[in-house]
Amino acid sequence: MTDPVRREFGPPVLHDAGEAGLLVAFGTVYDPAINRAVMAFDAALRAEMPAGVIETVPTIASVLIRYDPLELEPGRLRATVEERLAARDWYDAPPPPGRRLWRVPAVYGGAAGPDLAEAADLAGLSEEQLVEDHAGARLSVLMLGFAPGCAYLGGLGAAWDMPRRTGIAPEVPAGSVLVAIRQTVLPSTPMPTGWRRIATSPFRSFDPGSERPFLLAPGDEIRFEPVSEAEAARFDPAAARGEVLE
Amino acid sequence: MSGLEIMEIGAGATVQDRGRAGWQRYGVTAGGAVDMVALAEGQAILGNGRDDAALELAVMGGRFRATGPLLVAGSGADMPLKVNGAAQTWRAGVALEAGDELTLGPARGGVYGYLHVAGGIRSPVVLGARSTHLRAGLGLVPEAGVTLEAGRSGGTPGQGLPAPDYFSRRSLRAMWGPQSAVFPEEVRAGFAAATFRVTSQRDRQGVRLEPDCGPLESAEGLTIVSDAVVLGDVQVTGDGQPAVLLADRQPTGGYPRIATVIGADIHVLAQMPAGTRFRLEMVSRDAAVAALGRLRAEIAALPGRVAPLRRDPHDMDDLLAHTLIGGVVRGDEDDGD
Repeated sequence: MTDPVRREFGPPVLHDAGEAGLLVAFGTVYDPAINRAVMAFDAALRAEMPAGVIETVPTIASVLIRYDPLELEPGRLRATVEERLAARDWYDAPPPPGRRLWRVPAVYGGAAGPDLAEAADLAGLSEEQLVEDHAGARLSVLMLGFAPGCAYLGGLGAAWDMPRRTGIAPEVPAGSVLVAIRQTVLPSTPMPTGWRRIATSPFRSFDPGSERPFLLAPGDEIRFEPVSEAEAARFDPAAARGEVLE
Repeated sequence: MSGLEIMEIGAGATVQDRGRAGWQRYGVTAGGAVDMVALAEGQAILGNGRDDAALELAVMGGRFRATGPLLVAGSGADMPLKVNGAAQTWRAGVALEAGDELTLGPARGGVYGYLHVAGGIRSPVVLGARSTHLRAGLGLVPEAGVTLEAGRSGGTPGQGLPAPDYFSRRSLRAMWGPQSAVFPEEVRAGFAAATFRVTSQRDRQGVRLEPDCGPLESAEGLTIVSDAVVLGDVQVTGDGQPAVLLADRQPTGGYPRIATVIGADIHVLAQMPAGTRFRLEMVSRDAAVAALGRLRAEIAALPGRVAPLRRDPHDMDDLLAHTLIGGVVRGDEDDGD
């Protein structure tokens, strides 16, 4: 086994992902400092995108750089990335500017959160305590993945370190609030899952017909607000704007 | 404007162009035609633009009716094409009049056939592309009753391209993947020497493979923290079975990727019918880039190769057979440098 400490925290490692991708891995685990490094490095790259880069994809512990290798020679991209990585300690970087804080209503428990009791049991908390803890936390968008607008949120305490289920639910609805491994997943489309569904939100971060099709961006923050079914029904996801964080 | 009304169509049909880049950070992969060479061939035959869209059919064909004068062409896996019951040439411009009925039979020797219309299919552009992404609910869903509007009404029929040779290739090139180090040396050696069988578990998302070296087991367990995946990634799931990820792959994955099929060869894999056996040759990044450069040059040269058909449609089956036999030899010589 490789020394886990050395593998978890830097220095960042570069891997080819095919001939048109360069993966900049800041770590191999979920850790807030690693994710902050990912967000900061992604923001810095986007602020000054090397010609030939098609897009960058920040995820929990790495940034994928997709590029055209016939326009940007792979060795040159690596040199540029290494130079930029060396410019500062990315694990200590401040959060990128322009992030938003979103207040996301959610109906916890009952039919909207059929696995709330099971999750509370695993966390060693009462259902009320679990809801209070979840809604009291300021969560951050670690990445958008799996499906359009589907947000992976971090920031929950150790009590939430519960495994995924062994079975897969074939489909949970858009807006499901799913928990496992100290993370929350908030999908915007129906999807299969092995995570526990503790709530349902009327918030949708993806609307293909909208002028702003994606509301959430990697690095944004989220606070869940427990609401009743009736309050949730009155929520207009298209009107959600979030609040810019300095 | 003229178009093609869909009367019947097989499952899994989509509208495809070159896809939508730039949205993966929001959870949307690029999509686009699984066989970009076939897409470019149809565009060349009809004089369409690089961003024009075509109908992509997965094995099963369909039945269509022209709503006005129209020039169409097939490309990709050969599908028997008839107009009002009369056989037409695949990979060539075919003129239709209002009311003409066009039928496409099931694909032979490949998986994905493309039906192009002059001027491209004018379906709505979503997130910068017309590509249908069925699971994500993006783009037009081509189903019975839908009319595919064409960008142009007419054109000169009878121009075509010869059949390409990639359908018979049985050796593909791959680079080691970002997580190949998760797999022990002997597993990697087994993988590099293996013969893979294409299983029937396949769609635009990916193709499950069965290697003859047995399950690909890793010492550290087969999950990693989710990160972004790329086209061609060979992902190994918990049971040790590999799958190659195609155009509609999920944007992120939590399974290690042992290798990546190179960009110049991914269309070849996508067109392999279930049961096909092939080998992977591990190549360097430089070889992969060089191969991509050659493929792009071939695609750029397609419009110049479009020529009037010299053969009668009845001879086409023979012509195809000859080209396919020739392709077996051709497939092994293009090894990269």
